[in-house]
Amino acid sequence: MLHYIYDGSFNGLLTAIHEIYYRRQIPQQLLPCGTSTPQLFVQQEEIVTDDNKAAKVYDAIYYKISPQALRHTYYAYLAEHLEAGIWVYQYLNLGWKLGSKADMLLSEERVHRIHRLGQKVSMERHRLLGLVRFQLLQKDIYYAAIEPDHNVVELMAPHFARRMADQNWVIHDLRRNLAAVYNQNEWVSTHFTQLHKLELANEEQYYQKLWKHYYDNIAISSRINPRLQKRCMPQRYWKHLVEKN
Amino acid sequence: MDIMDKLKILADAAKYDVSCSSSGSRRTNKPGGLGNSAPSGICHSWSDDGRCISLLKILQTNYCVYNCSYCVNRVSNDVPRAFLSPDEICDLTMNFYRRNYIEGLFLSTAISSNPDQTMEMLLQTVMKIREEHCFNGYIHLKAIPGADNRLIEAAGKYVDRMSINMELPSEQGLRLLAPQKKRAAIVKPMSFMSTQITAQQEERRKSRKAPLFLPAGQTTQMIVGATPDHDWDILKLSEKMYRQFHLKRVYYSAYVPVARNPNLPDLTKPPLLREHRLYQADWLLRFYGFNAQELLNETHPNFAEDYDPKTDWALRNLHYFPVEVNRADYEMLLRVPGIGVKSAKRILTARRMHSLRIEDLKLIGIVLKRAQYFITCGGKYSGQTAMEEYLLRPRLALSQPKSKQAENRGCEQLSLFSFLPEPVSPEIALSSITGEF
Repeated sequence: MLHYIYDGSFNGLLTAIHEIYYRRQIPQQLLPCGTSTPQLFVQQEEIVTDDNKAAKVYDAIYYKISPQALRHTYYAYLAEHLEAGIWVYQYLNLGWKLGSKADMLLSEERVHRIHRLGQKVSMERHRLLGLVRFQLLQKDIYYAAIEPDHNVVELMAPHFARRMADQNWVIHDLRRNLAAVYNQNEWVSTHFTQLHKLELANEEQYYQKLWKHYYDNIAISSRINPRLQKRCMPQRYWKHLVEKN
Repeated sequence: MDIMDKLKILADAAKYDVSCSSSGSRRTNKPGGLGNSAPSGICHSWSDDGRCISLLKILQTNYCVYNCSYCVNRVSNDVPRAFLSPDEICDLTMNFYRRNYIEGLFLSTAISSNPDQTMEMLLQTVMKIREEHCFNGYIHLKAIPGADNRLIEAAGKYVDRMSINMELPSEQGLRLLAPQKKRAAIVKPMSFMSTQITAQQEERRKSRKAPLFLPAGQTTQMIVGATPDHDWDILKLSEKMYRQFHLKRVYYSAYVPVARNPNLPDLTKPPLLREHRLYQADWLLRFYGFNAQELLNETHPNFAEDYDPKTDWALRNLHYFPVEVNRADYEMLLRVPGIGVKSAKRILTARRMHSLRIEDLKLIGIVLKRAQYFITCGGKYSGQTAMEEYLLRPRLALSQPKSKQAENRGCEQLSLFSFLPEPVSPEIALSSITGEF
């Protein structure tokens, strides 16, 4: 048994795929580092990320398969599923053979599971575009904490850069210690750990209270339906919602 | 009165307005401005009744001169009244929007004086938020029946969507429950907006710089269950409005008993299932190519409780089925119960590569619970029963107990007598002859 271990970045994954072709060996798993412990009978090979090799694979997917396939690959990677690496490899393998038609094979397992992972990611992104809650801090920064299942912060940032163009904001993924930071000009994605306690701006409490008040009064009491509510807005997101705390 | 109390009173008064969607507009942000709109629409929260909260839905005031008996804000009702100034509305909207609580503003109002003055008040507010606060998010505005066309036209340039409530499906209903509202005063601005929207779309085609006019179109709302109208009357009216005025949506709101009145039905709960069936039928009209006439008619004026409208139609039109998944065209696939727009498109894509078997359908993501009885895959029928109406009806009904459903789904135990036709209950036998259910 052979496992490839890459550094967890998207370029790392693409490098690993490049290596598979040039080393002419097929691993059973493609894992990001830190997810597996050494096992008997398993040979682990560390893949060193090489941006040139990654760029070659990136271009190959774009031109030889399709831009959509590249998007599917990237989204499946962001899902952070343990087997996503090897699934991506198998999906691309089919792509090299069939070109852009690969994505039409909806009933093929190799295609289907990549699409499904991608769909989960894009659904969570869409859901969080609504569920992110900014809090105004002392130094005129809007700060939002989230704990998404998938790594969606980077996918969300462009939306808020267009929308909240005239305010400074930070969207902080507490689970991955990542953040998208925007300074009214451009956004960047960085590693981020919060050191101090948040100091809220003076008026922040007031607007939070108003919003809670509004939220409590907008429900029609003869139609109360907690099951529907939880289906649309799963409870794992409630922790960071102003109106639910 | 402080803003907290006003918010409570005016949110409470606005919550019976159903519309909350924020889709259909592509308004972009401007330099130095705040906000844009997402064409897909975004829900920001869900309230305890399970309805989504996308817009800050609020009345500017609930002081009303009308006395519509189904409405909480009627003049004869003893409720606290409040008024929000344009500045207060702007402040709330901007600050909620900056914290990503909302996708925009849904501004409505009671008729505080005459229609023109009320409409002008709304216009002042939306002008203020767009021009002084540079807000580019989504705005849904109520148009006031009876207001001057020039006011409606001016407001249409600032907002994304406008709506005028139809309120009740029939003119008699309106006369009985809302004597101050006239059907003609509701239809006139609706038709005016419709021609303006079409004209402006034409302008935008010529020049991209032409100003926007209601980019997300117009909608309306009807109350279901407050008058004795049948589903057929409601659906017919919706179809007519979709065709004539190109409405984006017709909303149906189950009548919530808010008042006691000899003219109103004595309900304990809002008719939620009926509302649900109407929405299902509404989707069939807009996305599935159905006519109102196919779903209901004079002899069959209400939706069945146990079957969704499409299944009900299919059961009455079994001669169209089974449909061969590998050959049927898109329109026919859409008519199969259980197959929707997404599923039909996926079938079209997948079958270009190879012919589909029933296992393939499952992998593609087609839900076969209902569809299995109406399709063949490569000539094979997988419904495990003969395609007869009296056999299919009990399998597709929603209201039967769980244990019985399980029985129906599994394979049948063969016995000597199972080769004989199943005994049929007298009502079912009768109904399959007369066609009435």
